[in-house]
Amino acid sequence: MNIHINGQAYPLAHETKITISSALTLYFIEPQQSTFAVALNGDFVSKEDYDRTFVKNGDSLDVLLPIQGG
Amino acid sequence: MSLNIYGQNLDSRLLIGSALYPSPQIMKQAILASGSQVVTLSLKRQNPSEQAGQQIWRYLQDIVTQTNGYLLPNTAGCKTAAEAVTLAKMSREIFQTDWLKLEVIGDDYNLQPDPIELINAAEQLINAGFKVLPYCTDDLVLCQRLYDLGCQVIMPWASPIGTGKGLMNPYNLETIRLRLPEATLILDAGIGKPSDACLAMEMGYDGVLLNSAVALADNPVLMAEAFSQALQAGEQGYVAGIMEQRQTAHPSTPTLGTPFWHQS
Repeated sequence: MNIHINGQAYPLAHETKITISSALTLYFIEPQQSTFAVALNGDFVSKEDYDRTFVKNGDSLDVLLPIQGG
Repeated sequence: MSLNIYGQNLDSRLLIGSALYPSPQIMKQAILASGSQVVTLSLKRQNPSEQAGQQIWRYLQDIVTQTNGYLLPNTAGCKTAAEAVTLAKMSREIFQTDWLKLEVIGDDYNLQPDPIELINAAEQLINAGFKVLPYCTDDLVLCQRLYDLGCQVIMPWASPIGTGKGLMNPYNLETIRLRLPEATLILDAGIGKPSDACLAMEMGYDGVLLNSAVALADNPVLMAEAFSQALQAGEQGYVAGIMEQRQTAHPSTPTLGTPFWHQS
């Protein structure tokens, strides 16, 4: 399957779905070291739901970090 | 005289942005020099291997700790209510605050807020427990609707974001102040120079939110101090009661005892 994280494609040959927790390990070296929040297909997913929410083929994950703003 | 935002009393009436400074160090110095206790920030996609975002985040946490202040996350870049609501929920989880500077942009050229999407988003967010500070145009009826929805703080623009053009339409802004006497009004965006902020405070506005005017100054730290003083001067002028304008000249010096050369 193919998923997108922040617009970048991540092809996964052997899975049909993975948890958000697993998907984050594709993106971060150490997710627990970072401050971020997640949306799946445009909907917010809270941290407590990362282990029980699945990312499937064609899904898009947004992982946002703090940045300066006006 | 303190600024009240959703029940929190703040010593400074200046809210300040954290973007566009020459360096994180100057950002921190300028924000501290401004005396502001409310700092805006945002969320964006970033490459996690680049530590720039994490560094800024640590600076901002440090500033808020030093000032006993508050973070005000924004929804910059959102064009629909749905996007703004999602981003707001993500911000609340990270920053642990219900405060939200709600931005929903309707036009890419002048970054003008979309009033329809703004109202829609504000209603959803208030129902979800957010304390919404909407960035909006200087339209009286829009401000009234936002206030009626439950936005205790309303933030009309002075002029488009980052233009530094100052108060484009003082009449509109004065009318909003007159018609919404109970609302906390903060002038947001387009401020260019300290006298712009002073003018807003002389109108009876409760505060000013700015970023570019300080960050893009030749000396941001000095400009931050200048804005702090300008807000105080404007507030004191408003409280002191500004004289009525008159159409004709009136002598300041007493006319009684005018010297002899006026006798004829």
